[in-house]
Amino acid sequence: MEDIVRVAGLTKEYGQGEVAVHALRGVDLAIRAGDFTAMAGPSGSGKTTLLNLIGGLDRPTSGEVAIEGRSIGALSMSALSRLRRDRIGFIFQSYNLIPVLTALENAEYVLMLQGMSAAERQDKVRFILKEVGLEGLEKRFPRELSGGQQQRVAIARAVVSEPALVLADEPTANVDSKTAAGLMDLMARLNEEKGATFLFSTHDQAVMKRARKLLLMQDGQVAYAGDPVDEMCEENDGRE
Amino acid sequence: MALRLAWRSLWRNRRRTLITVVSIGLGLTCAVFFICFAEGVYHQLIEDVVRMQAGHVTVEHKDYQAAPAVDLFVGNAERLRTRIGELAEVQETKLLVLGQGVARSGTGSVGASVMGVEPSVEAKMSMLPRHMVGGRYLEDADEARVVVGTKLAERLHLAEGKKLVLTTNDASGALTEELFRVAGVFETGVEEIDGYLLQMPISFARRLYGLPAGSATQVGAVLKDSGDEARVLHKVSRLVEGGESRAYPWQEIIPEVASYIRVDRSSNWIFQGILLFLILFTIFNTILMSVLERQREFAVLLALGTSPWLLRRQIVLESFFIGILGSALGLTLGGLAAYALEVYGFDITRLYGQGVSISGAFISPIMHARVTARILFWLGVIVIGATLLISLVPMRRATRVNIVDELR
Repeated sequence: MEDIVRVAGLTKEYGQGEVAVHALRGVDLAIRAGDFTAMAGPSGSGKTTLLNLIGGLDRPTSGEVAIEGRSIGALSMSALSRLRRDRIGFIFQSYNLIPVLTALENAEYVLMLQGMSAAERQDKVRFILKEVGLEGLEKRFPRELSGGQQQRVAIARAVVSEPALVLADEPTANVDSKTAAGLMDLMARLNEEKGATFLFSTHDQAVMKRARKLLLMQDGQVAYAGDPVDEMCEENDGRE
Repeated sequence: MALRLAWRSLWRNRRRTLITVVSIGLGLTCAVFFICFAEGVYHQLIEDVVRMQAGHVTVEHKDYQAAPAVDLFVGNAERLRTRIGELAEVQETKLLVLGQGVARSGTGSVGASVMGVEPSVEAKMSMLPRHMVGGRYLEDADEARVVVGTKLAERLHLAEGKKLVLTTNDASGALTEELFRVAGVFETGVEEIDGYLLQMPISFARRLYGLPAGSATQVGAVLKDSGDEARVLHKVSRLVEGGESRAYPWQEIIPEVASYIRVDRSSNWIFQGILLFLILFTIFNTILMSVLERQREFAVLLALGTSPWLLRRQIVLESFFIGILGSALGLTLGGLAAYALEVYGFDITRLYGQGVSISGAFISPIMHARVTARILFWLGVIVIGATLLISLVPMRRATRVNIVDELR
């Protein structure tokens, strides 16, 4: 299978000189199409920084990120914008839905940016909202939805445009364990049925165990990349 | 979607948006009302003054402006007025003979400003005949009759039927004098008019100053619509081309009134501009606060692939909506208030007594506003344009958001 993401020698420093913080110290990794990868590690190990760099939200200090074989380091801001719009879906820890848009409008936002016709948008979004179990809640605003429902809308928003890669930063951190399990079921199903490639960070042992591949981050480096192993998952469980 | 986002974002903080819209609305209401009121006064001033004098467009001897003298007259005035009167834009033509003299009675003498008029034309055009407080106004058949102001009548102890002698120099420079009887006394409340002006039939004025029949100091055209002034001036100029006469707009005939309007209009717009400028700070504050509160949301939108251009458009649309709503409120309220004043008028004598003088000119004491689509359009454009302009700073803030920092 082809690599959706290829990261080589990636470093990221915040600040300069003696106060510089080395968030990433030469990360190399590859994510293949259809992967369902969890990224774990203690706070400050560089998980979010790595996700931000892969998603083109931030620029590395050195090294390279390639999405679908195309290096993103030299892309302009607007080209990066287009890349995020067309090829990457984002799921944030605190949902980050647009409060003045309904569930349906939130989910269709990226399709609208892509210039899809209203009718086609509506069809796709209604289908995906049904898939994530939000049928009948399409017209509700985020404030009228529970945390779990909001995260389902966020997942729908991330996958509706069928991106090459879905990046999720601790997608289950703000929901209870039952809801977290439901969200993981949903993402796993979307991965299997739609072939969506997922890379998500987590502190949750149960979430790690659901992944087919585990990346362990330690001090800005990849300490382990391979199958989820129970002991490792338990060691890195930060869930209270 | 940008429209929907902008509109809904506007109403997230309903109270703040309403306060902003009402602030713009009330400020614009004041601006519309006072500008329309001032425009009404200027219009009234122009119309009243030009009707009392020789009209919107005046023909004089080309040297008269530099050194007014009775021997500088328009010889073919009657013929010229016929041709001017044929112009479609012209409501009425007027002939005036202007001069100076010394009015004497048994009790004293006073320098007087003499105006030879066509009584029937004046009765239609000028406000003076409507301000007679004793006797009557002149009639076309009158011979040696004059009307004088109350102040002049007081100084010379004149009243209806009393005699006065007017001494002056005629067009040849010779000293001449005539005996007149007072037909009536007028009162405008304006010292320059009531104290010095003396009107007599134009035929007798010609005789007094030794002017040929059919001549006049001024040939004037009163227009149906003052907006046609430039066109009529051009046409009349062509009629007198090559002769000894020249056509002037009223602004050159009564420069003090034109200057007054220019200065007053400028200061009025500056004052209203300052008011609007202060209101724009409210809008600026609202939009900036609204943007600063939503930094995280903008970061999400940018992360999802929204182009900075689209985000800017959303901020501009929010400002545009605020501007439109405020302008609609202000133009409606201000327009209605000014329209009421246009229809019903305001009697300024309640504040200042009978006469109203602006820059030495006598105007009707009932003041009317003048609401024009042009004023409303430009005020709306200014407010909406300024609103859009001040949204530039918040707009830049929105698109310069650090996505990673905001999402952390």
